[in-house]
Amino acid sequence: MALAEPVLCKRIPTAPWGDPTDRKLVTYEQFVATGGYEGLKKARALEPKAVIEVIKASELRGRGGAGFPAGVKWGFLPPEDGKRRYLTVNADESEPGTFKDHMLLDYDPHLLLEGIAICMHACRLDTAYIYIRGEYHLQAQKLINAVKEAYANGIFGPTSLLGQINGRDPACVVHRGAGAYICGEETGLLESLEGKRGWPRIKPPFPAVAGAFGRPTIINNVETLAICGPIMDKGAEWFKTMGKGRAAGVPATVPASFGPKLFGISGHVNRPGVYEENLGIKISELVNTYGGGIRGGKKLKAIVPGGISMGVLSADQYDTELDFDIGRKAACLGLGTAGVIIMDEDTDMVPVARNIARFFAHESCGQCTPCREGTGWMYKMLTRIEAGDGTTRDLDLLLELSGSMGAMPGTTICGLADGANWAIRTILNKFWGDFEKRVRKERYVSLQVASAAK
Amino acid sequence: MAWIMKNSATAPVARRAEPYLDEATKALLEADVIPRYPTRRASTLPVLHAVQDRHGWLPTQAIEEIADFLGLKASEVLDTASFYEMYWLQPKGKYLIMVCESISCELMGHEKLMEKLHHKLGVEVGETTKDGKFTLMHAECLGACDTAPCALINETLHEHLTPDNIDALLDKLP
Repeated sequence: MALAEPVLCKRIPTAPWGDPTDRKLVTYEQFVATGGYEGLKKARALEPKAVIEVIKASELRGRGGAGFPAGVKWGFLPPEDGKRRYLTVNADESEPGTFKDHMLLDYDPHLLLEGIAICMHACRLDTAYIYIRGEYHLQAQKLINAVKEAYANGIFGPTSLLGQINGRDPACVVHRGAGAYICGEETGLLESLEGKRGWPRIKPPFPAVAGAFGRPTIINNVETLAICGPIMDKGAEWFKTMGKGRAAGVPATVPASFGPKLFGISGHVNRPGVYEENLGIKISELVNTYGGGIRGGKKLKAIVPGGISMGVLSADQYDTELDFDIGRKAACLGLGTAGVIIMDEDTDMVPVARNIARFFAHESCGQCTPCREGTGWMYKMLTRIEAGDGTTRDLDLLLELSGSMGAMPGTTICGLADGANWAIRTILNKFWGDFEKRVRKERYVSLQVASAAK
Repeated sequence: MAWIMKNSATAPVARRAEPYLDEATKALLEADVIPRYPTRRASTLPVLHAVQDRHGWLPTQAIEEIADFLGLKASEVLDTASFYEMYWLQPKGKYLIMVCESISCELMGHEKLMEKLHHKLGVEVGETTKDGKFTLMHAECLGACDTAPCALINETLHEHLTPDNIDALLDKLP
């Protein structure tokens, strides 16, 4: 069933409710006039713990990629000790295929600020840092202006309706990154916020215990916080009427897929863009209803379900439902950021794999050897295969590498290597023919066999 | 990204009498940026951005001045600055063209765009035109996959690019 009315896109004209060409920046006045900051007022009337309970009851799961239940994350914080605690907002959106936060920041920054204020109240956090990627120049400026409006209207600062938190006036700071995908990893982001290179930290300790500047810190994605305002305004039950919900017979302890979600469609479709729909929509429905079908009436070849690190699906998985269970159902890493990339029948998968390997090789931070070396060598091998100089041994080695790099827990600190190996492995496995016809056949004689033959 | 090897220990440092981080900028940063963070080191990224915005790039002398200003060692600031793509440790052109080369842009014709730019500017990726006007760079996903192919020219994102419209776009730049 399609979404009855837009939630995140309430003020941003989006098909089928509005014309995307009518999009304009929503000012503070317009935001308030259309029911904005009502959720914050309702949250403010509640005890902080009760707010966390509402988010927990809504079963909101993080929209940044991992899908961790937001209310549970908020509940991890240790008891207050009167010292500083932080919120960091992950607006370092840089996964290829993902551009949902771009739209929210471009047109409705107050929706994010409302969620930030709610989270600061609920978790008793005195300072919020919005880590926005360096390439989003215009969006950072819009966000800075919106934060100024929020300060002037008593959302943050000395006149904040939140009152003092940890003995300080609630503050909201826009912190610009400088072009590093790895800073979207939560502890890489914290290192970068502290003014260092964005090398992810070894966990534990988890950020909820010792995060930014060694203090308890909550890290949430833009979209996760943006949905908190509407949830507080209309209630957890309302939120749970949307999305796929929990299948019959599944115990309530298993996280399910509730609520609306922003889906980005790009690649070979007629109407690429960001669309809001229920979690659990089929890829085919999303592409045909919203994306206007595949460009030129061509046939489908491959689908990236949620940003390239989630892997690639083949055409026979076109009817897969986009929800948090997609990883188990379709043998990919997960829903990720729900940035769907469509590739038509004319696409050659060798350059696609080469492009994806290049991305990870370029963005690997260089801290852990399997990732630094593995992504680099995958890129080199795929470049060679694309140039026609590859052999069947390269393919075997590529498969072995993409099946082992980062797959063993504890060999790399963060999930970048895992994302790289899922992407390359799924492409190789599903489109083996594309690769095989590009390489020379080479018999491989191992040293063991050679020495036995003497 | 962070593995550019060079012998920086014996490399001569170009110096000038006029500081890159002048007193007025320092006062501005001290009032506006430093209080936002609990440590001075956390201001490294915003201070680097501020200095680069004024001078176009970050000479070694500027790195040293920033280190003094933040109470850090120059190597610590360099460590941070060299990690991030957006900080320039060598001069760049007046206009920095960052063409997105990630998957959606490649599917939508990034290659033709690059051919056109190579031909028009006569430079390879990473090089600056002789007149110092344009520097051509690749970028990873710029977050505009729905309007691919796209490119960032200085701070402005240009979408739905074609070899023709990027030609006209560059000709219009003063």
